[in-house]
Amino acid sequence: MLNHHGTMKCALNEVQGFKMTDDHLESLRRTIYDAAELLPSQGPITAFAFLNPLQGMQSLPFDQAMRSVKRVYGAEPYLSESRYFAKLQRGRISLAELEAVLREDLGSESNRRVAGLCELVELRLSLLGHAIHCGVDRELDWLIAESRTLSRFREDVTDSTRKSMLQSTECWLKEANSQSHYALQSVMNGRTIIPTSQTELESVCLRLIWEIIRGEVGNVYRGEKPTPDIRHRDLLRKACNIDCDPWVHEILVRFCSAFLDQGQAQWTLPKRDQGFFQAFSAMFRQKSFFTRKWERGLAKELDRISSAGMTPLESIAESLSLLGVQTEETFDYITASLLALRGFAGMIWQTEVRPDRVAIASPPGSLVEFLAIRLILDRIALSCGASDLLKEAGSLATLRQHLVSMIDWCPEVSQEQQAYIMFQLAQILGWGPDRLARLSTEDWRELSCELSRFSSHERRRIFHLAYERRVIQQSLDAISIRARDPATGPTRPKLQVVCCIDAREESFRRHLEEMDDDIETYGIAGFFGVPMYYRGAGDVHFASLAPIVIRPKHWIAEEVVFSFEDSSRSRARARYMIGSTSRRLHAGTRGTIGGAVVSTFLGPLATAPLLSRILFPRLTGSLQRRAQQFVAPPAVTRLHLDRSAEQEPGSTDEGLGFSVQEMAKMAEQSLRDIGLVATFARLVVFMGHGTSCINNPHESSYHCGACSGSPGGPNARALAAMLNDLRVRRILHEKGIAIPDDTYFLGALHNTATEQITFYDLELLPSSQIAGLKWAREKFQRTAERNAHERCRRFESAPLSISPEVALLHVQGRAEDLAQTRPEYGNSTNALCFVGRRKRIRGLFLDRRSFLMSYDPTRDDSETTILRRILSAVVPVCEGISSLYTFSALDSSSWGAGTKLPHNITSLLGVMDGAASDLRTGVPWQGIDIHEPIRLLFVIETYPEKLLSIVRSNPVIARIFENQWAHFATLDPESATLHRYLNGDFVEYRSSIANLPVAGSSRECYSEHREHLPFTRIIKS
Amino acid sequence: MIERFDLFFPYVGALTVLSPMVLLAILGMMPLFGVRLSERFIANAIQTSVSVGWICSLLILASMWSLGIFKAPLLVGSWVSIPTEHFHLEIKFIFDRLSLPFLILSYTLCGVIGAFASRYLHRDEGYYRFFLFYAIFFLGMVLSTLAGTIETLFLGWELVGLSSALLVAFFHYRKNPVRNGLRVWAIYRISDGAFLLAALAMHHLTGEGDFEVLMGAAPWPAGAVSCSEWQAFGVGLLLLVAAAGKSALVPFSGWLPRAMEGPTPSSAVFYGALSVHLGVYMLLRVSPLLDQSVSLRIAVLFIGGATVIFSAIAGSVQTDIKSVLAFASLTQVSIIVIEIGIGLRYLALCHIIGHVTLRTLQLLRAPSVLKDYQAVENAIGNQNASTSKRTLFQLRWEDWFYRFAMERGMFDVVMDEYIVSPFLKLFSWCDRIERGWLRFLSNDPLEKQNANVPSPSRFEPEEFPNAEEVPL
Repeated sequence: MLNHHGTMKCALNEVQGFKMTDDHLESLRRTIYDAAELLPSQGPITAFAFLNPLQGMQSLPFDQAMRSVKRVYGAEPYLSESRYFAKLQRGRISLAELEAVLREDLGSESNRRVAGLCELVELRLSLLGHAIHCGVDRELDWLIAESRTLSRFREDVTDSTRKSMLQSTECWLKEANSQSHYALQSVMNGRTIIPTSQTELESVCLRLIWEIIRGEVGNVYRGEKPTPDIRHRDLLRKACNIDCDPWVHEILVRFCSAFLDQGQAQWTLPKRDQGFFQAFSAMFRQKSFFTRKWERGLAKELDRISSAGMTPLESIAESLSLLGVQTEETFDYITASLLALRGFAGMIWQTEVRPDRVAIASPPGSLVEFLAIRLILDRIALSCGASDLLKEAGSLATLRQHLVSMIDWCPEVSQEQQAYIMFQLAQILGWGPDRLARLSTEDWRELSCELSRFSSHERRRIFHLAYERRVIQQSLDAISIRARDPATGPTRPKLQVVCCIDAREESFRRHLEEMDDDIETYGIAGFFGVPMYYRGAGDVHFASLAPIVIRPKHWIAEEVVFSFEDSSRSRARARYMIGSTSRRLHAGTRGTIGGAVVSTFLGPLATAPLLSRILFPRLTGSLQRRAQQFVAPPAVTRLHLDRSAEQEPGSTDEGLGFSVQEMAKMAEQSLRDIGLVATFARLVVFMGHGTSCINNPHESSYHCGACSGSPGGPNARALAAMLNDLRVRRILHEKGIAIPDDTYFLGALHNTATEQITFYDLELLPSSQIAGLKWAREKFQRTAERNAHERCRRFESAPLSISPEVALLHVQGRAEDLAQTRPEYGNSTNALCFVGRRKRIRGLFLDRRSFLMSYDPTRDDSETTILRRILSAVVPVCEGISSLYTFSALDSSSWGAGTKLPHNITSLLGVMDGAASDLRTGVPWQGIDIHEPIRLLFVIETYPEKLLSIVRSNPVIARIFENQWAHFATLDPESATLHRYLNGDFVEYRSSIANLPVAGSSRECYSEHREHLPFTRIIKS
Repeated sequence: MIERFDLFFPYVGALTVLSPMVLLAILGMMPLFGVRLSERFIANAIQTSVSVGWICSLLILASMWSLGIFKAPLLVGSWVSIPTEHFHLEIKFIFDRLSLPFLILSYTLCGVIGAFASRYLHRDEGYYRFFLFYAIFFLGMVLSTLAGTIETLFLGWELVGLSSALLVAFFHYRKNPVRNGLRVWAIYRISDGAFLLAALAMHHLTGEGDFEVLMGAAPWPAGAVSCSEWQAFGVGLLLLVAAAGKSALVPFSGWLPRAMEGPTPSSAVFYGALSVHLGVYMLLRVSPLLDQSVSLRIAVLFIGGATVIFSAIAGSVQTDIKSVLAFASLTQVSIIVIEIGIGLRYLALCHIIGHVTLRTLQLLRAPSVLKDYQAVENAIGNQNASTSKRTLFQLRWEDWFYRFAMERGMFDVVMDEYIVSPFLKLFSWCDRIERGWLRFLSNDPLEKQNANVPSPSRFEPEEFPNAEEVPL
């Protein structure tokens, strides 16, 4: 320790001697902000953002990014080989698909012969299609010595292969020249008798193969040593099994959550307003009676830094120099240091750059300050953890070299492991000892090189492609075959329903259409083209109802109508009283004396809600709702939509609302986007969606993704109100959208958990519309039942024999259940996104797997202005949703939130695992356990060259498109031709089947099944 | 009537004890025969077992109440008796005004938690494991509640401790739960050590482990202690240490927030509610000792008081809901300790019952805190809770106190640095000496090489096990 302090002072003098220029610091700041792009992009959990967790890597091609995730994030890029292999055995992946993928991947190389033994594609296919075992060296030693590996062929060796191998071995043994082969000598121990029995021959054959392969692999294969880790901590852990991160994190986790706290703790962090650095420094400079051993130098170090008057940025520069970080590795070192506690670092970053999303934001520069503290703590912890080594290594700056030299860097695949893999391969492909003995060293080198090239990562990549292939093929087949038939849809629809593009609404829309041919449905991004900050009648805060990438510019509030003002005021008073009493009670139970009084006298009363909530969830839920009705804001409310054009938009009363021009513009855009510009039905319902569930911190992730994790009902309601406004209609008429006078627009909210549908502003409904609404309501009720029924097939706790009526009760019960971790499955089943006219794929059972966006290419101009606008939102939004599910499923511990069971809400912002851990971002396991982790396939009804021109002009889409973070295909607007974007070019897709399976109804398609189903054509008999 | 009661009581009483035993036997034995229990079977088994026990205990309560019986012992026989050595091992259960309410409470909460967890853990790979630990806990709770002898109490006490530690470490593929589980286990060992010493002392004093012999045959809360003041102080102090460990009183408080690692329902019922009250319950059981010794009373009051102050300060800075509730729980537990110290035994019992149910509900609803907070905020406007600073510490000590609270009173630090670390050092020193000695004796150069084999584990366990997917 002493020694180290000495060196630290030395280094410090150097640093102080070295005048850090402003340029240097500025470039350091930029580096930190670049590294921050790699942090989790999820903000507060109450406004769940569905963004690609690898957003920071989207500028790289998908494959390349996947190759670096292990190094950068320590995360798994794909599922494990054993899981893919299990899928192969279950038939989810077929050998034919694997072969096709391999051939596409290898191109002209696929038929190249490897060492004269077999074709490359055959070699690779054998490695994928068979359970190739590969344990650690010691396990292999054991297998060779103790198991029957060297006396019996593998069970998957075919009889013919076996026979021919045995025969050729026998011949080879008889040949004179073989007797001198070294393998033979070691196997036969100098005996010359040829074995007579088959079993003995088999054993000799296998031992010969093993001896030859082991010898040759030992000659030609060395294995690549992995690159050393960049952080001191990782090296120290590998060298001495000392891990400093838990020490540092114990302090940082507590401090960060106190810093971020939105109101959980009664006592806020002192000096929080002075920023992370100052607050930390003030607290940990305090002399304490007891400190942890490693932490003893901390107070002194903080004293020194503060008395030197260093800024956080200067402190980072100093820490990096003390740690011996070279300029060229600065970015990587900073990235690794930030990602070590990525949940908290990401949350600090998010609350810093998006202060509009939290009540208490982090001041600018918080992330830099966090990093400064982190590096100081790292230094202190390292100098204690590596105190013995520092005597030899000198200082922290030279510690890394010392550690690297201490570690025995084993290659990822050892010689023995490769030999064992080759040994198994030889059996599968029938390479007898005779053939192997004839190979030259060059051949062996080639063979070994091919095996190394097809590493575990590559095998998983191919598996993944094959895994994706079936869904892509099924989707493209289904769409192309369906599109051959004429587009179907009502000529004069009775009812038009506009839903969110959400995959959950696919089944809802399908059931609606199936029920009545006169119903037409549309899909639009769930904020209905009306981005806004919204405040409900009983709320205090505005929430952003727009995709996370958009910052709304308008504020809308829901207001109780004038005639109910008195009742509203008294109810608000009642709510205030209940609220403050309950707050006092809650705070009381946490206090001392109050807690004693409350828990002794009122505690036993808790038995009632405890028992009823858990034993009779649905009944309790409905009772509670009924009770709440008495104090809820009166049911008759209005959106404050209208703003005079002179006023600037703002959150004050005058600033609320849109001007008429703005309304008309938004309404026109929304209608044009989905192609609803003529043949209006008498009733058009805009249906936003949201969810309701209890006891679930991830509730927001079930709400509308296009509304930043809030219900999209208010947006639907606003659009309907705008379109009913005669002033808006007049402007629209001028612009060529003639809405008939008898058309009425209605906003509604679809609860995707309970299937309940709430209509807005019904009291304004003209009496001529009432009959139509009654008819529609009846249809919606039936649809809700059928949709609930279809959803129930995914819930193991609902029997498959359930009836639609009971299914509806079942899903409602789930939403009221305190113990339910899966109130619904959200968008978990997504796999496809269709952008085009609904009537071209109407009547296709898409199994709730498709986002559906309406777009009419025939009404678009030659510049595809509309499609350009649609895609700029739909592509990133849908890709974000799909990626978050997919990566959460690929590696639940790195990108997902793990299992919900131990989750612990922290700072009212996020969840930790249990008592203390990093913040867990992403979708929890209970939300992805049925998800197929694949990239999303976009099928867009347009011409390939038009899509290409859009891609070229939009960098966000271009990154996703060209770097293959999603698959793309186009559907020809005039024919059933599909083009798929493959390796930089659009290729015409030829469907693999002639006809789709046909069923009479949706229920026929899915009944008795829980798993993902093939897409089916529904033709009503 | 009383005769009739005597007739049916042994059966009903036995059922209350037997039903958790049978449950544990079923859950524990079946998989030994290779039977894979389904979720539904486990849930039903638990429901049945809890309902039987619950109804039986209600029956006993009703009949004792109506017949005016204050105490009903259930003897399961004397298992070991060595008269010459004055040694007896009796298993005996007592149904009285203290044990019955607590028993019914345990049954109710275990039933509720069973129902909750059977849905909460749906499809989790640890479903069976959870309910096996649950069954151990359940049995331990019933045994220690009804215990009439210190041996029986110890048996139940150990079962509770074992299952608690295992449940803390439920997610064994992550490091923190295992580390914290070990910590809980270590503290429990200290408290068990004190408990065993107390049991020995009791045998030494009275020749038996029966509470009746120590504290007289009068029904609880009355009791006449048969030993001297200092004897009572000695036994009582040991029991107080045992209770402090179990109930996370100062200086053992560090483990309670760390125990929040398991699935939410286990945190709720075990550390938030039942388990943490077990120490206090035991204090109540032996509370007549306090009447005998003023010093013991002072010790109880001191520990209770220290814990109240500590947990109130530490609780006010916690930012995660489970720690907030853990410290809130601790505050109430320590107030109950004070009530016992003062002698308000009925109040303490009522306080336990009220607090246990309330806290269980709060912990089960812990994931709702976001919604609750929002609802209150919507009703009363900006809460500004986060800006309400404690004026008490606002002066120059604010930073210091805040840090004290955030570090949870440094109890863990003291324990790690000043107790565990020297302990480990001492023993590794002994180890080195022994190795050197061996080397010297065997004159084996190999020993030297093997002495310091580094064991960095190359293969870290996968953090989240691959969960079974729906087959396709």
